[in-house]
Amino acid sequence: MNIEQTLKDAEQFLAPWCKETFHPEVNRLDVAIQVDDLRAAVGALLAARWGYLSAVTGTDLGIEVGQLEALYHFCNGPAITSLRIHLPRESDACLPSIADIIPSASFFERELQEMLGFAFSGSKVSERLFLPDDWPEKVYPLRADFSIEQAAPVAGRRADELPEQGVVGGNTFVIPIGPQHPALKEPGHFEFTVDGEIVTAAKMRLGYAHRGIEKAAESRNWIQNLYLFERICGICSHTHAMAYSLGVEKLAQVEAPPRAQAIRELIAGLERVHSHLLWLGVAAHEAGFDTLFMYSWRDRETVMNLLEQITGNRVNYSANVLGGVKCDIGAEQAKAVKEGLTYLETRIRHYLEVVTTDAMFLNRTRGIGTISRDEAEKFGLLGPTARASGLSRDVRLEAPYGAYHHFPVSLVMETNGDLEARCVVRLKELLVSCFTMRTIVDNLPEGPLTTRMPRKIPAGETVSRIEAPRGELFYYIKSKGGENPARVHIRTPSLCNWVSVLEKAVGHQLADVPMLIAGMDPCFSCNDRVVTVNRPSTNETWSWKQLREYGIEFYKR
Amino acid sequence: MNKNNEQFWKQIIKKVRTWARLNSIWAVHFNSGSCNGCDIEILATLTPRYDVERFGIKLEGSPRHADVLIVTGPVTRQARERLIRTYEQMPEPKFVISVGSCSISGGVFEGCYNVGGSVDEVIPVDVYIPGCPPRPEAIIDGIVQLLASLKGDEPRKMARPVNVEEIPA
Repeated sequence: MNIEQTLKDAEQFLAPWCKETFHPEVNRLDVAIQVDDLRAAVGALLAARWGYLSAVTGTDLGIEVGQLEALYHFCNGPAITSLRIHLPRESDACLPSIADIIPSASFFERELQEMLGFAFSGSKVSERLFLPDDWPEKVYPLRADFSIEQAAPVAGRRADELPEQGVVGGNTFVIPIGPQHPALKEPGHFEFTVDGEIVTAAKMRLGYAHRGIEKAAESRNWIQNLYLFERICGICSHTHAMAYSLGVEKLAQVEAPPRAQAIRELIAGLERVHSHLLWLGVAAHEAGFDTLFMYSWRDRETVMNLLEQITGNRVNYSANVLGGVKCDIGAEQAKAVKEGLTYLETRIRHYLEVVTTDAMFLNRTRGIGTISRDEAEKFGLLGPTARASGLSRDVRLEAPYGAYHHFPVSLVMETNGDLEARCVVRLKELLVSCFTMRTIVDNLPEGPLTTRMPRKIPAGETVSRIEAPRGELFYYIKSKGGENPARVHIRTPSLCNWVSVLEKAVGHQLADVPMLIAGMDPCFSCNDRVVTVNRPSTNETWSWKQLREYGIEFYKR
Repeated sequence: MNKNNEQFWKQIIKKVRTWARLNSIWAVHFNSGSCNGCDIEILATLTPRYDVERFGIKLEGSPRHADVLIVTGPVTRQARERLIRTYEQMPEPKFVISVGSCSISGGVFEGCYNVGGSVDEVIPVDVYIPGCPPRPEAIIDGIVQLLASLKGDEPRKMARPVNVEEIPA
């Protein structure tokens, strides 16, 4: 189906509530609706199975305009439909919550609530998401008139009011983990309520790595932001910079030369290899399989060498500039890349064999944390986590960007949805990436590396979507024609995938939890929000005898 | 036993202690809001290519067993208290290595509303390793410098001392 037809369909479904429509870009439909019609409009898109809710962007249009704007972005292949709602700034801007129809929307709503001061009718959550607990009430950092003085800590409150020790409640026990903990290298706080060995409720609090990058972007110029966004995440820095550059180039109506596009894709491919091998090592470490951890990290150094040889840096490569790339692939680099890929391919095949045959590892992965296709769709999962459950979500295929038109990748999918499938998907994906990278190196287009970019970017707004190693990365960039962006909204894939962990932890053994967390390849520095999943615990008391019998039975299996 | 003898044994014990400390540095890693870049490079130093375990350096989960605190990232508001607490939980003598530009000065995140600034405004730092992120070799060099500074009779603090604020209970 072509984009025009898809967008026409959406327009038709939304016709009853539509106040105005725009086509800001070829692949986008912008529908202005009234607040009260939001639920009905979202329901109509859902009923027609028109795409999925990808992100919700909130913007403060400024004091002169006196309005707040909420944009609900639905993506269907390359087509994007945005529902646009305007609300007065001064009075309580109240939106109806759609978290009951689309569970993944709850994170987006809580983000708007905290960062911009939207209220949501029908939403029960009042806890802090990612701002510190001593942040003053009614101060919203993404509002236009926010100043850092307003954010002075509230006296008598601590920045994180969390339990330090386990809490006994009835026959359950709450185990607090983090923010400093040995399992993951990044800070996050978890509270797992356990009944014996079984997790009955899971809760987490993030925000330890919340730095306020979206606000900082508004005070930096277009070029400075490129380097800021690279440092959102050190693991997928190229992807962030690439999504941003592609977006800004679209706004400036400039296209990077084909050679630059191809080099961008090549580096993105190398980054995927580094990221997935890193993940494989960490996942193996969580499972107690340190040998695999050491081996995969040893092989990861091959790709780090390649990245260093091409860009000069091991991490935060700064390969992108607005309008192209900085680094070229010469004969020497091409040779090194091909040799490196040959080695990596043999190793990846070996790891594929290990994760599917090693009995000990399989005990920790097979049938653990199984997510069905329907659940994956309901939770709004993205990237390899979704593809392991048979949900084909890959922006590189659905909406090819940059050089992916010329150097396409093939879809890798598994249907089991358990941790094993997630390992297999990631490793197979690497083989596909290696193949594509080899094609790129062999057929690198000739030509310049950069094209001229204006210093001021024309007014407008755009959406840039990219497949990061962890899933779809969503950038919404708005320009008012100045030297700084007016608003940059970033929705990272980890945010959408968290819900899978917390939902799935319930009912599993506590010992499986680290693997479950690692299974989605979380990235704390990308997203910092809080999520709670609470399940009523069964108030059943076991006698020692029952417990002993259960234990004997369990270990017989 | 005369007094001299006692002094002699004290000297010996001190030497053994320093020798043991220098050959079995246990480090605890704290991410105070970093972008992951430094963290993956720290992990890389532990893996076969760089292999700091050959110096007896081991990454330890609990601050209570650690000699060295490796801090990455600008200190965010929420991580600040946790950082102080982690530092206070470590037994004496303890040393702090601040890795990466953001942990030294706030780096690219300077001026962000949720970022406090450098690590040495919160806890005393012994070694600074600049870079965004520093290469594993640089991290190893930093650790080696720390070890070299410990070789003297009295461990030498290299950074300016900063008072750790009282934390409300």
